[in-house]
Amino acid sequence: MEKILGKKQIDDWIAALSEWEILAPSVEDGIWAYRALSGAVRLDHSNTTQPPKGLSFPQREVFFSFEQIKGEPPRLTQKMPTATRRAVFGVRPCDGAGAVRMDMVFSDHVADPYYQTRRKNLAYVGLACNKPQGSNCFCLSVGGSPVATEGMDVLMTDLGDRYYVSAVTETGKALMAAAAKLFAAPTSVDKKLVERTHADAVAQPQRAVKNVDAVPAKLKASFKSPLWEELARACIGCGVCTFLCPTCHCFDINDESTGASPVKGNRVRTWDNCQFPDFTMHTSGHNPRESLGSRLRQRVSHKFQYFQENFGMPQCTGCGRCISECSVGIDIITTVNKVTEHAG
Amino acid sequence: MPDNIYLPELARVVHIKEEVAGERSIKTFRIEPVNGEAFAHECGQCAMLSIFGRGEMMISIASSPLIKEYKQFSIMRVGRVSAAFHELQVGDVIGIRGPYGNSFPVDDWRGKNLFFIGGGCGLAPIWPVITTAVAQRDYFKKITVFYGGRSPRDIMYRAELEKLRGDVDLQLSVDKTEDGWNGYCGFVPANVMDKAPSADNAIAITCGPPIMIKFVIQNLHQLGFADEHIFTTIENKMKCGLGKCGRCNVGKDYVCTKGPVYSWAQLKGLPEEY
Repeated sequence: MEKILGKKQIDDWIAALSEWEILAPSVEDGIWAYRALSGAVRLDHSNTTQPPKGLSFPQREVFFSFEQIKGEPPRLTQKMPTATRRAVFGVRPCDGAGAVRMDMVFSDHVADPYYQTRRKNLAYVGLACNKPQGSNCFCLSVGGSPVATEGMDVLMTDLGDRYYVSAVTETGKALMAAAAKLFAAPTSVDKKLVERTHADAVAQPQRAVKNVDAVPAKLKASFKSPLWEELARACIGCGVCTFLCPTCHCFDINDESTGASPVKGNRVRTWDNCQFPDFTMHTSGHNPRESLGSRLRQRVSHKFQYFQENFGMPQCTGCGRCISECSVGIDIITTVNKVTEHAG
Repeated sequence: MPDNIYLPELARVVHIKEEVAGERSIKTFRIEPVNGEAFAHECGQCAMLSIFGRGEMMISIASSPLIKEYKQFSIMRVGRVSAAFHELQVGDVIGIRGPYGNSFPVDDWRGKNLFFIGGGCGLAPIWPVITTAVAQRDYFKKITVFYGGRSPRDIMYRAELEKLRGDVDLQLSVDKTEDGWNGYCGFVPANVMDKAPSADNAIAITCGPPIMIKFVIQNLHQLGFADEHIFTTIENKMKCGLGKCGRCNVGKDYVCTKGPVYSWAQLKGLPEEY
């Protein structure tokens, strides 16, 4: 289903989605993120600081609560997320691709019920990037595209005074059908314009990971390269690279106690981070990834080698956040290119 | 698998035995499900044990799958959760979820000589294999158990080991001898070389401190054991047990799903990240 929507009518479309909670980019304290919409929707932003992954995989969530009165068995109460349907407007193609990769992780081997409950109630109304949103965009070199529909339910393309709106999934069709009267059939001019806009978008220069298909084998051969320590030397281990990554899924599970007698509290999942030394440290003190270089190697190899070997695609979608937000200038494109170049 | 993969089942501690005292004390716990039946497991698999309010930890199941009534775990007091386990009393209720990981291919070893080589608390992960093999004694040829501790007081499962004599050739050792010790004195790899088992039609299964494993494997190579006939287990920090939390990987493999059991042929192809 392909339609035209006047830009001024997007708020009317959103108003018609009464069964959906609407999220859209907004700025708070200088940080762009997908938040509950208040007022008119703003899609004039570049990409958000935070990807939408927290909507399906929140930074902190309670698995269950426990209460144990002495002498009695513990009582466990599951805290499954409520199944609120949420439509997210303005998601960029790199983050749509990110969602697809998150979906793979959380359904592989066994399904994660917390993630799945949230994810199946999320609809992504994407916005194509007519030009790169920042100087560190590199989606094209990692198998993506600034106009890709991967992970989207709807993809909108900005045509100046109107959007070219394509339904990608059945959910996307339903979202559009909820306000069918607002949408017009595209004219042949619209169709030509969207084609040209997409062709121009793909032709825009971007930074690039060189020869991504050869990267997994070259990284494998570079496991012991001294470059890892050299390139990681400036790292302060803050972890912003993974916290802002649309595909980083590592987490911790801990008990947060709120009472000692009776024992009361919650078992909680929080995001964790492969750049932290205690991420892999054994109780004995032994740490398989003790050095900065080994942890940079893990982040890069997971994205470009291990995920490729396990799922057949790179885990990086080229959003560039880990580069733009790194306070010491560690650059995943440069890292991959340098290490693989030295692998011969 | 249950619908909620993170929700533990409740289990009652029915028996506690102090294996090893002192700074690195080890206790063995037997647990039974509070409701219904315990999950089935295979030799070498692990389970995530919880003490609510303290957290979870991944521990190898140290009882044979042939035992349905209870599951056994031997736990060294090292960190927050293991210390809480050491405070437990019989009758206390804990959480358990699992089983996780792959298993030793015991059925493939029928008709072969089995050599178990363990050190310290590394006896626990291979104990299910030893006891299963003994319970199915006719399926296997010679069974030999090499096992060593720092001192005679560090020998775990001492009484159970002694009961195996007759069914197995038991070769105990201690790093440092004390009065009353009649067995071998020296490190486990040296004891293996001393007895020099034949690699002919044989499988070697080893578990223990990394440094012990390193020398055991060197020695097994000298004795002519092929990489694919040497098995061991590896451990890494784990939180989920389901290949999602992202920390136990060795290269592309999460140890919690692809491990913990590896042949040396498999393991030598992986990066040393364990």
